[in-house]
Amino acid sequence: MGEAAIAVTGLRKSFGPKEAVAGIDLEIAAGSLAGLVGPNGAGKTTSLSMMTGLLRPDSGRVLVKGLDMWADPPAAKAIIGVVPAEARVFERLSGEELLEYAGRLRGMAAGEARSRAKQLLDVLDLTEDAKRLVADYSTGMRKKAMLGCALIHNPAVLFLDEPLEGVDPVSADVIRRLLTRFVSSGSTVLFSSHVMELVEQICDHVSIIDKGKIVITGTTDEVRGGKTLQRAFIDLVGARANDEEVLSWLGSSSN
Amino acid sequence: MARLLVQLKLRLLFNALRASSGARVAFVLSTTLAALIAGGVFYLLSILRGDGIAAADLTTVIFCFFGLAWLVLPLVVFGLDSTLDPATLALYPLRMRPLAVGLLAASATGAWPAATLLGLLGVTIGLAHGALGELIALVAVVLMVLFCIAMARFVTTSLAGMLRSRRGKDFAALLFIPIFAIYEGFFQILPKLASEGALTASSFGGVDTWLRWLPPGLAVHAIYDASTGHADTALLRLAVLAGIIVVLGLLWIRSLGRALVTTDTSTQSAVRGTALPFARYGLRGTVAARFWLYQRREPFAFIYWAITAVIMAVVAFRLVLSPDWFGGLVASGVAGGAFVGAFHSNAIGFSGPGFGLEASALNGRRGLRAYFSGQNIAYGVIAVPLVTAVGFVLAVVAKHPMDGFVTMALGLAAIGAGLAMANIFTVVSAYPVEKRGGTPIPRATTGHNGEAAASQLLTLLCVGVGVTPVIVAAVLTQSVSPAIKMPVLVLGAAVYGLALAWAGVRAAANLAEQKLPELAQIAIQSSL
Repeated sequence: MGEAAIAVTGLRKSFGPKEAVAGIDLEIAAGSLAGLVGPNGAGKTTSLSMMTGLLRPDSGRVLVKGLDMWADPPAAKAIIGVVPAEARVFERLSGEELLEYAGRLRGMAAGEARSRAKQLLDVLDLTEDAKRLVADYSTGMRKKAMLGCALIHNPAVLFLDEPLEGVDPVSADVIRRLLTRFVSSGSTVLFSSHVMELVEQICDHVSIIDKGKIVITGTTDEVRGGKTLQRAFIDLVGARANDEEVLSWLGSSSN
Repeated sequence: MARLLVQLKLRLLFNALRASSGARVAFVLSTTLAALIAGGVFYLLSILRGDGIAAADLTTVIFCFFGLAWLVLPLVVFGLDSTLDPATLALYPLRMRPLAVGLLAASATGAWPAATLLGLLGVTIGLAHGALGELIALVAVVLMVLFCIAMARFVTTSLAGMLRSRRGKDFAALLFIPIFAIYEGFFQILPKLASEGALTASSFGGVDTWLRWLPPGLAVHAIYDASTGHADTALLRLAVLAGIIVVLGLLWIRSLGRALVTTDTSTQSAVRGTALPFARYGLRGTVAARFWLYQRREPFAFIYWAITAVIMAVVAFRLVLSPDWFGGLVASGVAGGAFVGAFHSNAIGFSGPGFGLEASALNGRRGLRAYFSGQNIAYGVIAVPLVTAVGFVLAVVAKHPMDGFVTMALGLAAIGAGLAMANIFTVVSAYPVEKRGGTPIPRATTGHNGEAAASQLLTLLCVGVGVTPVIVAAVLTQSVSPAIKMPVLVLGAAVYGLALAWAGVRAAANLAEQKLPELAQIAIQSSL
């Protein structure tokens, strides 16, 4: 493994009696496209929030490109981009205004921010809707606009929380190609998802999280262990009990 | 079908009692208010007896007020009453006629239709005389309630597609402004005017000449005609009213058929302008641009400014017409600035999940100072002309136009103090907010009402204390020539206000630097 772009040690977070993240250790090499997968409520969003400086951990350390996220947040936040799971940003800005705002917040010159915003909107297939309010965007369009916000300052490391949730196949393909191109230039991506097929397809590194703990981490082939990622995931996390007998009436007639 | 939809409406109403404590309180308050209005209107209509045409005039005004309320309020509470939205029933295999009857029956169910019926029945004791008059009154009141329901149904169904859209919700939200102004007028100004004898039944004499031809006026004048022995014209008026109800019903059924299969396309238009304004002026300008655009495009931001103007006018209304006019101008200026602060004392909570974008980009104390001063510039650009304009209007009403500068001076100091407190409270007591049906203004989420009330009240209190030096200066220099006093007072107050705002920005930035992740989590919990 090369130089670690993301190095997490002993990360913990509790909400009252519930331990959402129970001590995570994770290392992602620079230039990786890494997936963090887990069932609902496993601690994916909480972990990513702590890694991106948006949620203070109870304990643990997060290094991004060697910069300590919680010892020097401004320095670490300057080199990352974040796409949160919540697909609601500044709804009353147009797509173009939103991307320019994100660029200006990152200290870019107005002209540069405007120019990059236009280019990103073009690549994300949002040029025709650039002047519409984000409030009128579909979920997929919002996700693409938020990806544009996260990329506009050309971060070294990109964190995405469920980036393809609710996104149509065409938009998903646009996002997928953009991420692959971003990583091929040496940048790093860590994204959370529970869509195993997607992770298996594009990630070179996978970590499975369950009940706030990393169950397994490694290259995609190592984690799969000769099976599909879906099967490996279910074997590790455990499947739900079969309810078929309870729903014996289902599909038997029109009543 | 009618029975099923009435049961659905009753179930929805009573389920409010089992929902969150906030919904429970809202249900109890709404029902209590409906009962109070029913009782109050019944009493008011019942004492309008023996005044002849003057009583008919005032009764017409009250009936028209109910008609207006039934026209406007269902648009505002569209998201609250799911039986108002035909789309909720579009999935089911229902025929138009039973569906229409069922929806009408559901509309007539609840505290407010009952309050309308009971309240308006006050005419049977007031305006109506004799057996024929009483009989016509009963029929007229029932027709009036039917008219209100048919009209509300027609309007909400015709606009249903739009009301579900973002633009439609924006439009409905702005209706909150006249409702607030009417509410303030009814509860603050009219009682004072009536108690001073400035408002009597004869004050409404002129309006009846055209209100009598509206459907509520037809109902009232049918009762008046029947009570004065003109049975033929009474029946004719009722027949016209019944015809209007039938036409409204038919139009409603047509629009219902259309609404069930029509989608909304009103949100496809684009914004004007090509770039973020002021973005070339650094981070401060960029943040100011974002807040400025929000003041223009977010309905609740617009509502807050309108409410500030209404409060300024209501606070000073009586005083500026009295020998104590100077106190009115002072109070108005202070109230304007104080409410600007109070309404923006949770800017981070009101930013919602978008604040996550700002929190992940803002770097250190310097960036946070730019963030707070940027938003203050956007608020100030609106607040200063608004408070100044209202102040001068009040000064003109008081017949002392030059003293508009006094309100302006107090306003400038109070805006500075208000924004300083708003910046500090948005950091020390930020709380998540959510949009709920029935009100366009986001409210504190469950469990945070105390913080919301405390930060707003403390902002008002602190502004009151903060502007005391300017109040003292204004009072002590009352006898000084305006040509000398006004420039010094306005300039001094502006500098003082700017100094307070500057101190507020620095304090808020210092405090926020230590708790940016916590503030981001609060903002992310907001649902806007």
